[in-house]
Amino acid sequence: MESATAIMLSRLDFAWVASMHFLYPPLTIGLALLLFLAEWRWLRTDDDTWYRLTRFFEKLFIINFGAGVATGVTMEMAFGILYGPFSQAAGPYFGNVLGYETITAFMYEAGFIGLMIFGWGKISRRMHLFSTFNVMLSSTLSAFWIMNANSWMQTPTGVELRDGIFHVTDWGAAIFNPNFLPSFAHMWVAAVELALFVVIGVSAWYLLKKRHEDMFSRPLAYALVAAALVAPLQVYLGDDLGQVVAEHQPAALAAMEGHYHTYAPDGSVNTGWHIVAWPDDAAGENRWALTIPHALSLIETHTWNGKVPGLDQTPKANRPPVWIPFYGFRVMLAIGFFLVLVAFWGVWMVYTRRLFSAGGRARRWFLRTAVFSAFLPFLAIWTGWWTREVARQPWLVDGMMRIEQGVSRMTVAEAAIWLVGFIIFELVVWFFTWYFMAKVIRQGPDLEAPVLRGGDDAIGHLESQPGADDARPAYERP
Amino acid sequence: MPADIGELHLFVIYAWWFALGFSLLLYIMLDGADLGAGVFSLFVRDPDERGGIMAAMAGTWDANETWLVVAGGVLFGTFPLVYGSAFHYLMLPLIIVLWSIMMRAIALEFRHHSERSAHLWDGLFGVASLTTLFFAGMAMGAVLEGYPLTEGNVPTYAGGMFRFISPFSLWTGVGAVVAASLAGSLFIRARFERTEAIRRHAARWVDRSFYASLVAVVVTVVWSLLKFPWAADKWLGPYFWVWGLVALAVVYAVVRMRRSSRHGRDLFAILWLNAAIAIMWLAMMFTMLPWLVPNTWTIYDAASPSVSLVTFTMAMGGFLPVMLIYNWYQIWVFRARISKLTGYGHH
Repeated sequence: MESATAIMLSRLDFAWVASMHFLYPPLTIGLALLLFLAEWRWLRTDDDTWYRLTRFFEKLFIINFGAGVATGVTMEMAFGILYGPFSQAAGPYFGNVLGYETITAFMYEAGFIGLMIFGWGKISRRMHLFSTFNVMLSSTLSAFWIMNANSWMQTPTGVELRDGIFHVTDWGAAIFNPNFLPSFAHMWVAAVELALFVVIGVSAWYLLKKRHEDMFSRPLAYALVAAALVAPLQVYLGDDLGQVVAEHQPAALAAMEGHYHTYAPDGSVNTGWHIVAWPDDAAGENRWALTIPHALSLIETHTWNGKVPGLDQTPKANRPPVWIPFYGFRVMLAIGFFLVLVAFWGVWMVYTRRLFSAGGRARRWFLRTAVFSAFLPFLAIWTGWWTREVARQPWLVDGMMRIEQGVSRMTVAEAAIWLVGFIIFELVVWFFTWYFMAKVIRQGPDLEAPVLRGGDDAIGHLESQPGADDARPAYERP
Repeated sequence: MPADIGELHLFVIYAWWFALGFSLLLYIMLDGADLGAGVFSLFVRDPDERGGIMAAMAGTWDANETWLVVAGGVLFGTFPLVYGSAFHYLMLPLIIVLWSIMMRAIALEFRHHSERSAHLWDGLFGVASLTTLFFAGMAMGAVLEGYPLTEGNVPTYAGGMFRFISPFSLWTGVGAVVAASLAGSLFIRARFERTEAIRRHAARWVDRSFYASLVAVVVTVVWSLLKFPWAADKWLGPYFWVWGLVALAVVYAVVRMRRSSRHGRDLFAILWLNAAIAIMWLAMMFTMLPWLVPNTWTIYDAASPSVSLVTFTMAMGGFLPVMLIYNWYQIWVFRARISKLTGYGHH
């Protein structure tokens, strides 16, 4: 029955389902904010370009949202199915938080998204803006609770484990666990950055194709300026989160940095930061590494020779595997810095007016880079999450519950059915999401449709019309 | 019932139990009609009409489906022991339900972006609605039968993945499809312009599925009576006259529904049907007490030790009314009847 293969498979199942789900919500969260701002500008200026832009990006938003809901419902069930014992034990806190997420965020969002998408022209402009605002707020709330549940797994405070169940002793301490605020900020800003770069990428593509140039240079310029503020902020927030991980999860941090030895062989503090390395978990060291001395302690302790505990401070059984966190972290970091450069480059292009002048090789290269940059934040969010989750191994709830205690006892066949089914499934969703997004972008914004100002269309009628086929009852007592 | 549970704690457990039942009931009422309309669409030939059916629920299906997620959230938050074990027991049907719900959501979202692939999404929408209903009904029946647990502090499910399959659960699966077809055809009658041909088509469906549902309900009740001692003890016990009154109330609601639907008062027909469903659902909840899962989990044993009056009041006093208000507002905004050509393109 119970085998290492089955456990490995169900963990893979969950990793797959979670990773594929997480392609969508960040864009929903970030884009909702940008849609709200664009629609608000439309109300303030009455400039129809803002309306067209809102309606156009809203189409992308809808496709993405649908995929996010479909894959998200799976997530909620996946906890119970793949991690039954964990769900039972952690239910009192973790389950409650997920419950709040469904009630305060998910339901809230569903309530207003219908109005936002189909309410154009049916409700007044103000009411519609209010709906968009609520979609933005509720998607942010959903990030709030989900990050809360996950950060509690990283730093479980405010609970005690009695008889195999986590009893909540202090709600405040559990909700505001040390990892929570920095990681929530990091995630929310990541979502905004992602949405900005998607808007930048799409707009740049139109400029490259010389379509709707006037219309799309506006969001391009605005989004570049915003990205120049947001991208560096994100790097700073990441560093901030790193400090918290260093303080509370030294083993996780050591795995992220491939930092096996606290001290160098000569007894001095090991302060090297590896750019690339070949970690060997069995031997407990890197086979080779390209190292910058002192960089690690500068990053983590902000001092020249600070001590950073290595993996040798943790017993072998409690060490996370190093490969995924090490490279995941580096990919995320590289993308983060690259996006800062792209944003600054863009602002310089805007400032020197080169972005809007016709032709020019520099402009073309910038636009191509901008289109390419739209894909990078997705990868950064993925690698960031893989780093976060794998670096917590072998713990499910850090220091309190191990993976093998929390995973459902499935047979290999059960786990394999899941995996195969969901691989096919999520790939189908993913393919069609991109397919339709590409289609919407190729079609371009609709410049013909009348601008729906709202409230002037008939909402419909509830009374029966005379002369209709069943205005008379089908059956009357004689 | 354990002795160490205080009165306040007991009250909170009951309140959450009711909230769980309430969210599931709302889900069945709201999404049942959408799912039933999906089954109905399998029998519609005209692609514009099929698109119309999807457009009819365009503004509301997402919010309706969310009640299921809310119920899942309440279950996870309040009765984690049931959540963890029941989901393992029901793994297979729930996976299929999940796939179906996802496919349905995707079909609804993507159809209006498609031209050539429209018939693919139509078919997917119909089939996914059917499988959602059948396997959700099956899961429901399987829960009524209970399941074995392991020993220990935190008991989990002990059994195989096919245990949920039984004559009774297969029957409840069929029953769910039949009952939803009735709700779905009433929904379509209410959502389309009175001159649309599809309404006449739906009227025939209302008739057929009405008699089929009647049979389904009677068979299920009789079968439960013979099969489940916990149900028979309640229904034939000292309070048998209360259960009799409940049955009469259901009959009254069904008769009123029938009359409204014949007179073309589509909205009232839906409301009376929902009244009948609500009475039957509540009757089922009270029949099961003190079990949450018959012969497996009582609501006292399954409740999370951390449920507190504060969190309950916050969630239910604060959020549930608000949720109900905007759910209602949304349905109100999209209450206009549509014609098949309204479709998706004009929002």
